[in-house]
Amino acid sequence: MPDHWGFVVSAYGLAAVGLFAYWRRLVRQERELDRK
Amino acid sequence: MVVWKDLLVERRSKETLNALFFFSLLLLFVFQFTLGPDRERLAAVLPGLLWLGFILSGLLGLGRTFQVERENDCWEGLLLAPGDKSAIFVGKLAGNLVLMLVVEAVLVAMFVVFFNVDVGGTWAALALVIVLGTVGFAAVGTLFAAMTAQVRARELLFPVLLLPVQVPVLLATVKATEAVLLGEPLGAVANWLQLLGAADLIYVVVGVLTFEFVLEG
Amino acid sequence: MTRVLGWLALLGLLAGLAAGFVVAPREVTQGNVQRIMYVHVPSVLVAYLAFAVVFVASIAYLARRLEAADRVAHASAEIGVLFNGITIVTGSIWGKPTWGTWWTWDARLTSVAILFVMYLGYLLLRGMIEDRERGARYAAVLGIVAALNIPLVHFSVLWWRTLHQPPSLLKAGPPTMSSAIVVPLLVNLAAYALLYAYFLAKRVRILRKEQEALA
Repeated sequence: MPDHWGFVVSAYGLAAVGLFAYWRRLVRQERELDRK
Repeated sequence: MVVWKDLLVERRSKETLNALFFFSLLLLFVFQFTLGPDRERLAAVLPGLLWLGFILSGLLGLGRTFQVERENDCWEGLLLAPGDKSAIFVGKLAGNLVLMLVVEAVLVAMFVVFFNVDVGGTWAALALVIVLGTVGFAAVGTLFAAMTAQVRARELLFPVLLLPVQVPVLLATVKATEAVLLGEPLGAVANWLQLLGAADLIYVVVGVLTFEFVLEG
Repeated sequence: MTRVLGWLALLGLLAGLAAGFVVAPREVTQGNVQRIMYVHVPSVLVAYLAFAVVFVASIAYLARRLEAADRVAHASAEIGVLFNGITIVTGSIWGKPTWGTWWTWDARLTSVAILFVMYLGYLLLRGMIEDRERGARYAAVLGIVAALNIPLVHFSVLWWRTLHQPPSLLKAGPPTMSSAIVVPLLVNLAAYALLYAYFLAKRVRILRKEQEALA
């Protein structure tokens, strides 16, 4: 069966994007709260 | 006490019951128009259709469980009522059960008539499955109805919360109904019946235990 | 402390990546696409962990009215939904080349989808109740119901799919567990668990600061 690296990259990529985006949101929220 | 109160209220305001009957009739027509010509497909999806009808009517009926209290500002009355809050839950649940079972019985009768379903000797098993499924649906439904009664988008949030939770019950009842209507003995669907039994037990117990937390303040 | 968790998580993730691509072998039947498992499986396990935490925290809140428990429940549900979403997306991407379809109502995907919707509803409920104390109470009740529902979901869907169901094209599950596969899986699982803990700590802290700001 062919390797479908495209799928592998998309899967890992999307997971990474999701996790990173959430982390960024957390950092931003905390920074805003600390500023107040 | 609460059961009688609710039943009396229902009798006096027959609107809910009438509306649900009419709604079920409409559903029947829709099912017939969309699937009627193809007799075979209709027979295959019949259990699913039946439960779809139950659920849609159930959502309408259950969603209004606490409407009276909400509209007439009797919420405090519930909160200040002496005794166990869980008794209120059981009362409301019993009332909802009766309501749903009546509507379901009528719906089954209409299905038998309009779709020429042969229920014959299987009606006892069918009744058992329907009762088990309805208890599960009504238990969680009553609890969630109380929780969503005072939320802004109640009509939206209630089904959104209730339906995902009800998936196991729905799966079990449709599969069991399917088997029963095909004439299979109850033993063949023992696992589904056990699941329904477990679900009913869990839902009722949790409802009884947590209702006081929903009714506070 | 949270900082340390964060760095550990990052380290774990990098180690997991290495393990998943270097240590783990190329799978016999599926080829390298099977490596998606090293994201998919840890994600779903961490999601279950998160929802279990929601369950315990919900009980703790109702039993003891600990504000901290309410915050933990809220945060854990949010993070659980996140990992749940990742599970579904990676599972779907894995399924396309192996099963030939983006989605199939197989037991695992269906269960995970139901869980996703249930806890999304939890977050919706929280978002729609203005009164904080009532929101905490109602969410706790929902958290308990949802968690107790998980085994029911699991079995009902499993029986639905395995009784009288034809087998799918390819069984895209974990292959026979040699250590070259188990170890990367465990490394990734540990990394994701650390990431969960890090996210949880941060999110709970944010919730606390939000509430303090309003007080």
